[in-house]
Amino acid sequence: MRDALHLYLNGRPLRVTGDDAWLMLSTFLRRRRSLPGTKVVCAEGDCGSCTALVGRVEDGRLVYRSMLSCIQRVAQLDATHVVTVEGLLEGDRLNAFQEAMVREHGAQCGFCTPGIVSAVQGLMESGDPLDTTAVRRGLTGNLCRCTGYDAIVRAAVATDLGSHRRLDELYPPEPIVEALSSAASESVTVRSGGRTFFKPATLDEALGFLAAAVRDEGKPPMILGGGTDLGVVHNKGEEMPASAMFIGGLDELRGLREEASGDRGVLVVGGATTLKAFQSALAERLPEVAEFLEWFGSPPIRHAGTVAGNLCTASPIGDTLPLMQVLDAEVEVASARGRRTIPMADFLTGYRATALEVDEMVIAVRVPLLGPDEHLRLYKVSRRKDLDISSVSGAFAFRHRDGVVDRVRVAYGGVAATVSRMGEVEAVLEGHPPTLDRFAAAATLAAESITPLTDVRGSADYRRTLCSNLLMKLGHEIDGGRFNGNGRVDSPDAPLNGSLELAVTGQTNGRDGGAA
Amino acid sequence: MPAVGQNIAHDSGRLHVSGASVFIDDRAPLPGELVAGIVPSPHAHGRLIRIDVAEALRVPGVLAALTADDVPGHNHFGPVIANEALLVEEEAVFLGQPVAVIGAEDEDSLRRGIAAVTVEMEPLPAVLNIDAAIRADAYLIETRLIERGDVRAGFAEADGVVEGELDIAGQEQFYLESQIALAIPGESGQMEVLSSTQHPSEVQAMVAEALGVPFNHVVCTCKRMGGAFGGKETQAAQPAMMAALIAQRTGKPVRFAYGKDDDMRFTGKRHAFKSFYRAGYTNDGRLTALDVRLFSNGGCSTDLSPAVLERAMLHTDNTSYLPNVRVTGRICKTHLPSNTAFRGFGGPQGVASTEHVLHEVAVATGRDPLDVRRINCYGTDDRNVTHYGQIVRDNTLPELFDSLRAECDYDGRRAEIDRFNAASAMQLRGLAVSGVKFGISFTRRAMNQANALVNIYLDGSVVVSTGATEMGQGVNTRIRQIVADALGVSYEAVLVGATATDKNNNTSPTAASCGTDLNGSAALVACTKLRETLDRVAAEILGDSEAGLAPEPEMIEIAEGVVHDRRRPDVRIPFLDLVAQAYERRVSLGERGFYATPGVEFNRETGKGTPFRYFTTGAACCEVTVDRFTGEMAVTRVDLIMDLGRSINPGIDRGQIIGGFVQGMGWCTTEELVYADDGRLLSYSPTTYKIPAITDVPEAFNVRFLDNPNHTISLHRSKAVGEPPLLLGLSAWLAAKDALRYVHGRSLTPRLCLPATGEAMLMAMSSSQLVSTAQR
Repeated sequence: MRDALHLYLNGRPLRVTGDDAWLMLSTFLRRRRSLPGTKVVCAEGDCGSCTALVGRVEDGRLVYRSMLSCIQRVAQLDATHVVTVEGLLEGDRLNAFQEAMVREHGAQCGFCTPGIVSAVQGLMESGDPLDTTAVRRGLTGNLCRCTGYDAIVRAAVATDLGSHRRLDELYPPEPIVEALSSAASESVTVRSGGRTFFKPATLDEALGFLAAAVRDEGKPPMILGGGTDLGVVHNKGEEMPASAMFIGGLDELRGLREEASGDRGVLVVGGATTLKAFQSALAERLPEVAEFLEWFGSPPIRHAGTVAGNLCTASPIGDTLPLMQVLDAEVEVASARGRRTIPMADFLTGYRATALEVDEMVIAVRVPLLGPDEHLRLYKVSRRKDLDISSVSGAFAFRHRDGVVDRVRVAYGGVAATVSRMGEVEAVLEGHPPTLDRFAAAATLAAESITPLTDVRGSADYRRTLCSNLLMKLGHEIDGGRFNGNGRVDSPDAPLNGSLELAVTGQTNGRDGGAA
Repeated sequence: MPAVGQNIAHDSGRLHVSGASVFIDDRAPLPGELVAGIVPSPHAHGRLIRIDVAEALRVPGVLAALTADDVPGHNHFGPVIANEALLVEEEAVFLGQPVAVIGAEDEDSLRRGIAAVTVEMEPLPAVLNIDAAIRADAYLIETRLIERGDVRAGFAEADGVVEGELDIAGQEQFYLESQIALAIPGESGQMEVLSSTQHPSEVQAMVAEALGVPFNHVVCTCKRMGGAFGGKETQAAQPAMMAALIAQRTGKPVRFAYGKDDDMRFTGKRHAFKSFYRAGYTNDGRLTALDVRLFSNGGCSTDLSPAVLERAMLHTDNTSYLPNVRVTGRICKTHLPSNTAFRGFGGPQGVASTEHVLHEVAVATGRDPLDVRRINCYGTDDRNVTHYGQIVRDNTLPELFDSLRAECDYDGRRAEIDRFNAASAMQLRGLAVSGVKFGISFTRRAMNQANALVNIYLDGSVVVSTGATEMGQGVNTRIRQIVADALGVSYEAVLVGATATDKNNNTSPTAASCGTDLNGSAALVACTKLRETLDRVAAEILGDSEAGLAPEPEMIEIAEGVVHDRRRPDVRIPFLDLVAQAYERRVSLGERGFYATPGVEFNRETGKGTPFRYFTTGAACCEVTVDRFTGEMAVTRVDLIMDLGRSINPGIDRGQIIGGFVQGMGWCTTEELVYADDGRLLSYSPTTYKIPAITDVPEAFNVRFLDNPNHTISLHRSKAVGEPPLLLGLSAWLAAKDALRYVHGRSLTPRLCLPATGEAMLMAMSSSQLVSTAQR
């Protein structure tokens, strides 16, 4: 058990204690470490100006990913190597991408630039060549108001990866890996000013801390998965609780594995598995979900945010909730008292409310894959295509066999206090040929059975129309014979913006957070 | 090789990419530095009953809590008419108007101090939008009028008439660096203010007036801004005034920084407009009469609203010759933060109104919208006088339209889109071309002046200072290029320092696209004076009277730091030696240049004159794809041509073009200011206010500069670039309208106001949604 955080910052070891552990990384860098290159604009993870790189030891090597330093507490970064824009220089020289940015006029006012430089460094870490699409998909989380992005894309694509140093070349990994591996195996408790931060090294420790907190303080600690939701909440003024536990570093909860269950596989997603890892694991198994997750937040949000966190936040606009509903996912929870499994339909109990007991936490989410002839269709409609919260999202699962659809499941996000299945709408379609008339009847019923709100993301009328139209869109896609049998939809028309192969609606965001 | 015309990297580029450029908040706190913040008015309109700051002053760490009564100088300010109270007196006029300003030792104490202030306020009825203001007869200034020809006669000769109303939304500047100032008290009541401002002279004046000290007691400095876009032209002053007030009271340095949420909620934006229009047209789409009444939402005070309205009225022609036109304008007084400058400055709204009219004429006549734009386009030899009487000289608009039409294969794509839309059940495509003719100069004549100071040091290095402020647009880079060439030294030998009011006095804001035109010209004047001195000294050194070569300054050439007499090309001395000799001879190695734009004059009373030095022109073609079921729209291709004369820096200009276009596109598509009924802004952060992200910009974005050798009247034959491309973003909106033509058939135009959000698009299409389904 340690009482200080051990991390590396731009290649040098750092020990952090006391109140500094609770600071957002951006504040810590700017005010405590004299590294003001990292900028803060929105303090809510929606602009990318604060992007920094965080290296974590995985399978014996350092894997660096872009993270949003304005919504990452220093405490979450124990046993990591944080690299800021100041740490990307090769000695005194600009690196190859920085040179290209200067040459191509990729910076105008310069305020978003450090975040962009860091994010692109993250993209280049894989060593894969960057084409225009990869750069665009990789920078959906970085807003620039000056350049119109064109010069930034040109700079990234023009950078010769052969002469661009990866972070392992700038910072020889061996000593860092050794130090961080040893740090990662230790639990950490930092106490200061009446607040306690705990980072468990094992699941048992986590459950023990949870039970003790409930017993001693009468309420659970804040449980941080990626912290991408709770970080925002606290930046915007909500009081922080007296104790917090960070489970994002818990290797026991970070994995994914596939199990067989009846006629289909089940993907078991650990309670601290990031959305990015989930997305990667589904690329082959459930491509519809993998592509849909492209529009969940932005890359740095998916690098930190967790699948379980998105469910626990239980927001009606959480992007994974509708799909978990129609896939009949199950949530495995644990406490010091034992474990249980909660069907998705029972897990969400109301607006931002779940069936979790105060001493329980999610340890896994069981996501059934599709069986033979089954299809999944996901839509997300939002004001802006990328990095946005849905006005309405729709998830539709069904089996299409012998000219009839059955096993129909329909769920919408953004139209009620919580995300739940639309049983009556499902019944209209269930067991019938999927004609446009049938879908029109279902669409009419869908609009009638919801009473959405008018808010900043759209009027009630708009949302109601969308609920209908998403069903009509699905009807047209089925009617057009677009399903080719593997759960995918071929593009009926030219794709929007040419970035993904689906002519689907698109748009994304939603947040994770490990709230219990 | 001359520096002017080269694609030289932005002079802060290397700093920006390495995180080394210093913005105000990047400075470590000074010893004893305080943070300041406001107690915002909880109501958009309210009568202040009681304010009590006593409790706040008891919070540990809180050192000052000031209300209107504590302002030693003026509590009222404004760039034209001082009719906005900095701190609420009897009546709050917008939600978030500061009721008190608090200074504290740290953020936590500040938060607690703000929470400890008691504000009792009686809410009063609030007027928030243009419709409500018209009903309430709430206006800020008298009606403005610009007219030409005989509108009645124009309608009489028309084959048809279109009329209606158009709502044009406002826009948040969304500079990434929020408003910030750092005030550092000096001796004898003096104050140094570091401000993120486009207008240091105004910040200097406003701070001095608030503090009750002479202007010469305040120095305002601006090194750079993290974006501004007009939002820091006047409204950088409030944070600076509040920081300075606390600094004066406590004697300590004070930092005032808005967070993004408060910046968006509490500061002014692009004016929303409403246009009531009636237009007569001939069957071939020619406008015979246009009668437009423009109303802008000015917010709570005058700020720059009259100039914004004026520019809107001066741009209602855009690229079209209007033989008979009557434009009136009024500014609505509402209970919102005072709306202010934003790139384009009324121009985009005036242009949107007329481009909407042209679209409706196209629909009504069944002609292609581009043909309608072209037939109305200003001529080169006739039909080339604007409705306010200025001649459109060297008009490149016809060439721009025609070149663009051919280069982007407009007609081929039109045919393809006709086919696609007829066949597709899922998507609609739309295509539109729009042009821009943007007047360059401040419409207020006095502001078209600038001064510059150029100093040469004994090592041959040069510093130039002007009133221009760097907000990313590259003005410093351009001025370095201009000065380097004018003095004959390398680009690297010249630096542009921070903009400061003790170096350059009574400067104009860096605005109206003319930052380089004005300040670069003033620098050139200073350089010319220096060259006269240096050439004289050089002539003395390099001349050889005994050999019959009397000193002749005109024979001196200085380039890239080397000096020679053209008659003796073999004898060359370094610039450094020339400077040393000049110093020995006791001549001035620093000069001040002054420039006033010639030939600009505008009479507000008659609405006639030549307000602009010249016009910057361009045209863009935009294509969109719309999802028939969700209304979601993507811009899929942009082709754009700009006439920038001879570019001083093509790389920087290209960045201005694309960045400006994308900002305009955002205004026309995803950016929407949503207010609650009580005046609260609901879209107050990037979570809810959506500026274009990288994937909103099409991969197919083709930019070309028109080769225009005829533009000879401005600095190095260049044209200003800052604002004009933003107006081309309207082509995205017009393309959305074009797509909608295919939903209802060509006889019916769904009314699409601005912006064309997904919701607006879906609602415009929705009546046909199930019809299109049934038709399959």
